[in-house]
Amino acid sequence: MDNSIVISTPPHVKSRRTTRNIMLDVLIALAPAAICGIVYFLTDALILEITCVAFAVIAEFVYFFIAKGGFNMHFNDGESRQLAKKVAQLKQAGQPYEEAAAALKEKKAALKKAALAKPLGVCKMFIKQFDFTSVVTGLILALILPSTAEWYEAAIGSAFAIIVVKMVFGGTGKNIANPAAVGRVFMFISFAITTYAAANFGAVIDGSGETLTSGATYLSGAMLGENPDVGAMSLVDLFLGTGLAGCIGETCKLALIAGYVYLVVRRVIKWWQPALYLVVLGLMTALLNLDFAFFLPSILSGGAMFGAIFMFTDYVTSPKGVFAQIAYYGIAGLLTAVLRHLTGIEVVSFVIVLMNLIVPLLDMWIRRKPFGYKREKKNKEVAGK
Amino acid sequence: MKAVKGRFFFGGVHVPDMKALSQDCPIKELPEPPVVTIATSQSLGKPAIPCVGVGDTVAKGQLIAKADGAISSNVFAGISGKVTAITELENEGGQKGTYIVIEGDGSGSTQYLTPLTDPSKEEIVQRVKDAGIVGLGGAGFPTAVKLTPRTPVDTFIINGSECEPYLTCDHRVMIEKTDEVVRGARYIAKALGVSNIMIGIELNKPDCIAAFEKYDDVKVVALRKIYPMGGEKQLIYSATGRKVPVGKLPADVGVVVNNVATCLAVCEAIELGKPDLDSILTVSGKAVANTANVLVPVGTPVSYIIEQCGGEASAPKKVVLGGPMTGVAVKSYDLYVKKTTSGILLLSEKEAAAEEPTPCLNCGLCADHCPMHLMPMNTAFYSSAGDIENAAKLGGAMYCIECGVCEYVCPAKRPLIQAIRKTKAAVRAQQSKGGK
Repeated sequence: MDNSIVISTPPHVKSRRTTRNIMLDVLIALAPAAICGIVYFLTDALILEITCVAFAVIAEFVYFFIAKGGFNMHFNDGESRQLAKKVAQLKQAGQPYEEAAAALKEKKAALKKAALAKPLGVCKMFIKQFDFTSVVTGLILALILPSTAEWYEAAIGSAFAIIVVKMVFGGTGKNIANPAAVGRVFMFISFAITTYAAANFGAVIDGSGETLTSGATYLSGAMLGENPDVGAMSLVDLFLGTGLAGCIGETCKLALIAGYVYLVVRRVIKWWQPALYLVVLGLMTALLNLDFAFFLPSILSGGAMFGAIFMFTDYVTSPKGVFAQIAYYGIAGLLTAVLRHLTGIEVVSFVIVLMNLIVPLLDMWIRRKPFGYKREKKNKEVAGK
Repeated sequence: MKAVKGRFFFGGVHVPDMKALSQDCPIKELPEPPVVTIATSQSLGKPAIPCVGVGDTVAKGQLIAKADGAISSNVFAGISGKVTAITELENEGGQKGTYIVIEGDGSGSTQYLTPLTDPSKEEIVQRVKDAGIVGLGGAGFPTAVKLTPRTPVDTFIINGSECEPYLTCDHRVMIEKTDEVVRGARYIAKALGVSNIMIGIELNKPDCIAAFEKYDDVKVVALRKIYPMGGEKQLIYSATGRKVPVGKLPADVGVVVNNVATCLAVCEAIELGKPDLDSILTVSGKAVANTANVLVPVGTPVSYIIEQCGGEASAPKKVVLGGPMTGVAVKSYDLYVKKTTSGILLLSEKEAAAEEPTPCLNCGLCADHCPMHLMPMNTAFYSSAGDIENAAKLGGAMYCIECGVCEYVCPAKRPLIQAIRKTKAAVRAQQSKGGK
């Protein structure tokens, strides 16, 4: 028996799935949407996607490097300082100092070696723990931006999403809201004047040129009475994203559905989660307008489908219990429909952030009862009567 | 009777069962080991008190340690020979216990109890108690206690699900000793005064289902292949639709569950007078040369069994006593088989999960798959922060059956079971302090 034998608490076999696997699955699921974006918006989309992903990874690396003390290099310590002092004293006194100088040089070389090894060690640590979450965040952020966004805006948004929303709270698994959604909200508020107004986004669709956002313009125009004709846009165009403006990854619903099917088959998400959100959203929109014709357009327009599939289902910021999840997707659907109706702008990313923030409460309030727990309660009631 | 399908319950996980490694190996009786070292603690509860001295000559089947109270079991000599020492040794969990060392003389003299023919209810319970039979499913609860429930019982379920991966000893028992198992079950049913005998078998053992369908008084329930189907509460729900309330025993819903190996032991104790002195276990894993299902006397050294199975094929990463989901990982072969040991697994580097944990993703997979509908991530989170109260309340740690599903599915490989055990121990310590 050698010492290579490991002892631990059971179980001694574990599933093959790791965080890295899951994130790679999400990346594969995002691929059709990303490719469609490039096909529709050409180099604009490609530049944004590359910028966002690169800056997300760089931001994560920089934060990790600083936090783990990569810059914390010491080329001097007490001993070397004393040696230097001694050399200086000997020099001043005119005595032979070569021996002390040699010792100092040796000490300094050793210190330099140790100091340079440190950033290398931190880099190795980074590669070992790198789990592709920042790549996913960067890509999602790129896909929910309008193609007219400037690359430096995307870079700032991406770095903000990673550093302020994710790393400051403790890195993977600890962020309180979806980093990509917060990044998008941040950009929406910070660069609204340059990006969104100049692009006059959605003008193609509602024809009024007044709507300043990228998302549910067609729908909001219809809702606000500016363009009350629901049938003005064909559902096929909405579905395929042809001939209408929108965010890079949100336009082609077919690509999104391909990603959805992949995620469901790989069991990364549950099939009913996005479906529940979209159905509630569609029904509520129809109810608010008292017209069932709004059902499909409301689902197909804007970022609803992308958000439902890739952003609401983010593990970190969605509830853990089944009943809490039902409440989460239900409330999110209602909120999206109502806020869209009232504000006339695309609100999906705002709703995502809002819902993320109430997740801890949902988790606390709506918990599953342990197996066999209900029965005991019933028995107590019967006994009480 | 024709098999019926079991009910569906939420939770559980499909674990690659790896039973093909050993399910076709017939049960092989190994040559008697030269020395056996028998633990006096073979069941839950108090260890038995040795009733032989150093230097005594004992026959196979002779009582060597007497049960101490109700929750304890008699211990018998596994081989004939001479008691050479009564010492303190560490068991697989690292706790000290009293062990009786017997050096075999090869005489083969036996001293069994007198066989019973057509025993009465009381005789059966007394015999089960005398023969020191314990639940062989793993927990090792003395069977005699189970046979005298305080509440009325109407159903007896034989647990033949064997949901643990790798283990195939119950599978072999069900095929090779079908008749003995059924007779043992009939004795237990008689002792309980019930006529409804059910057996739950997972669908990955169709040969066993077919074997038991021949008996008219045994209802066969074909269970979905999912871990932990063999958990008492899950099995009872699947077979009868009754939910065992939390913190209660199966007898409270009128059900008693026993393992197939226990039924076999009861049958042998009554018909042959043979006390519970041996154990059928599976030797498996990719790091062992020959996988096998073996019959060995209690107290056989693990190293002897490995040697008999051809030794190591490659250096094992983990050595497990019991099943891979709930068994104990050990660091040396200097351990001894107990009545309840159901397997010795030598897991190779590829099979054994020894990955470094990464940060929790909050994905909730553990909660999705928990058969008890608990929230293990909450327990782990609060227990790492030292908040025992919330760890127990929000995570539900006290209801945990420690099946290991949560840790199996965890993509971050978090040590959840460790956190749950820690929380349980802390809560119990608090309660006992408060009680005093």
